[in-house]
Amino acid sequence: MIPEAFALEEAFLVAAGLFVVLAIAMFYRAVVGPTTQDRLLAVNVLGTNTVVILALLAVALDQPWFLDVALIYALLNFLMSVAISKFTVERGGVL
Amino acid sequence: MSAFAYALAVFILASAVATALFRDVLSTIIVFGAYSLGMAILYTFLLAPDVAMTEAAIGAGVTTLLLLLTIARTARPSTDRLFERVDVPAVVAVGALVVVLTAIVLPEMYELGSTTAPVWSNEDVTQHYIENTYEQTGIHNAVSAVLAAYRGFDTFGEAVVVFAAGISTLLALNREVFA
Repeated sequence: MIPEAFALEEAFLVAAGLFVVLAIAMFYRAVVGPTTQDRLLAVNVLGTNTVVILALLAVALDQPWFLDVALIYALLNFLMSVAISKFTVERGGVL
Repeated sequence: MSAFAYALAVFILASAVATALFRDVLSTIIVFGAYSLGMAILYTFLLAPDVAMTEAAIGAGVTTLLLLLTIARTARPSTDRLFERVDVPAVVAVGALVVVLTAIVLPEMYELGSTTAPVWSNEDVTQHYIENTYEQTGIHNAVSAVLAAYRGFDTFGEAVVVFAAGISTLLALNREVFA
């Protein structure tokens, strides 16, 4: 019989894998576009996706300190979106 | 390697190829952010969350801002074509070279996470640090001990250089962007 904890961790790893497949689907939008806003939104969703994957990995690999990486990504994720949005709205302004 | 790693590899490869092929620089910067996300997940999966944190701060944050500042200060050529033209013979030649080199090198490498793989570089020196680090410094992680204790002055000098670079970047940006 499989130990229960082992099966649960496997399930979390499978869930993380499914989120990576979703990330590939999201990446299709980032490549095809057609406008910059589409790409920006796709990458923004990808960032949120990454936070979820990192949190799932933290459970699946039983390393709670991976959550720190997820937290940093959650904090930094908006930075690129804000910078590029500002760049497209007022040409030349970034910061 | 699990299916998770293969899916991740597909994502990273796709974003790297897209980064190389896009003609519009703004699209390249955005797709490069996606590549950085994939790399951070890969580093975490390979149990190197410290590298993943650096990738998060540098790849997603600083690099994007610096590249945006660069194209804000310089020209951004407008094109009607989406992708760069691919030089097929060059791609085939370089690709074949990479495949051959990988096929030669990869079987020689030790298995991922193998505990019996020998320590490379100078065995005497490495073994000395592995055996004596905790007694001499009280730090559990040998890499951190080398960085912060054994070569502490060197790290201090590096910190001074990075600090000076940050200050001068701030000064330069101040003059160019907000003037």
